[in-house]
Amino acid sequence: MYEARVEVRNDPGIHARPAAILVQTASRFSSEIHVATEALEVNAKSIMGVMMLAAETGTLLTIRAQGSDERAAVEALVRLIEARFEIEA
Amino acid sequence: MVGLTVAEFFEATRKRLGLQLLSQSLHSRSRLVNDMINRPQLALTGFLENFLWDRPQIFGETEIRYLESLSQQECGKALSQVMAFAIPCLVITKGLTPPPGMVALASQNEIPLFTTTMDTTQFQHEVTAYLEETFAPATMVHASLVDVYGVGLLFTGRSSIGKSETALDLVERGHRLVADDMVTIRQRHANILIGSGNELLRHCIEIRGIGIIDVQSIFGIRAIRGFKRVEVEINLREWDDAEDYERLGLEEQHTTILGVRIPLVSIPIFPGKNITVIAEAVALNYLVKAYGYHPAQRFSQNLLETIRRKRTLAQLAEGDPE
Repeated sequence: MYEARVEVRNDPGIHARPAAILVQTASRFSSEIHVATEALEVNAKSIMGVMMLAAETGTLLTIRAQGSDERAAVEALVRLIEARFEIEA
Repeated sequence: MVGLTVAEFFEATRKRLGLQLLSQSLHSRSRLVNDMINRPQLALTGFLENFLWDRPQIFGETEIRYLESLSQQECGKALSQVMAFAIPCLVITKGLTPPPGMVALASQNEIPLFTTTMDTTQFQHEVTAYLEETFAPATMVHASLVDVYGVGLLFTGRSSIGKSETALDLVERGHRLVADDMVTIRQRHANILIGSGNELLRHCIEIRGIGIIDVQSIFGIRAIRGFKRVEVEINLREWDDAEDYERLGLEEQHTTILGVRIPLVSIPIFPGKNITVIAEAVALNYLVKAYGYHPAQRFSQNLLETIRRKRTLAQLAEGDPE
């Protein structure tokens, strides 16, 4: 299991499009990946789940992965969120 | 932080319980931390061992009449002994008049004092129902919940295995969607699980290749449902040649959610297999079992009887060459 914390930087937060990009990125990895706020933990490969977080700018997220590519998965998602979803996912 | 502040409790229940604040403020030294309430009867007589002060204290006719039977001094003493505890809040039922000094004492000790015109027993039922609902153990699962012939089927399995597609197919066939993808499950009573969706996602489904579909706007009100008891879990999984799948249904598998055991059916998936029809069969099979008929057991019994009969006939034939 590998995990890291990252702050949502894009404005106004993880709305539909960033959520879709996040889920697409997560789905490329075989590990089980979860994203959590303080209140809620959801499957990072589920678009509905990620949207349900309704994470606004400044929210601290914990990304947790378990599996053969756990480290790469967490790092890719952290990079994506830090780059405000503006990098080629 | 755990629990409910008295202000939150008041906000949520004032209408339903007909609560009115008598003391000065909603500020309390304690929060509501469980679904229990208490009648302070013996505590008022001075027996304070085991006094369950960390719950809302209900003053019904018994308490108020007892306090009225005391002299003003005794009554003040009884109340101040009890109200020295950091009680979350007090409620006087039936619109009874608080004994002199009680309101002031409540304000002074920062214990919000409410009154309601509701009958004591009725109030206890209502408040307990609300608190049980609020403090019920809950969990969120990555699954879809559909009401199929009145049976709550919870579809689980790894991401993109086809939970949402199965749910959509079931809705198409006239069944009702409760929640897709994220299901909140709460425990009611000892062995009932209630599943519901999320307000933000409502009855939306994500289908790979299409995107988000709003089931209510497409299929109408009959296609959705707000809450449903979770009765059977259907676990969708990839076909694995190495695995032995259930062939008879004599032994039932179970899963445990929030400590409640429910039947679990594992269904292997491969192209061309109609999961929807299988899901309907699971629901109907659950229903016939609930009505006391166990198809697999019945079948097995018939088979046994046939074998026994044949053996008896064979023995008869052996003993009698004719």
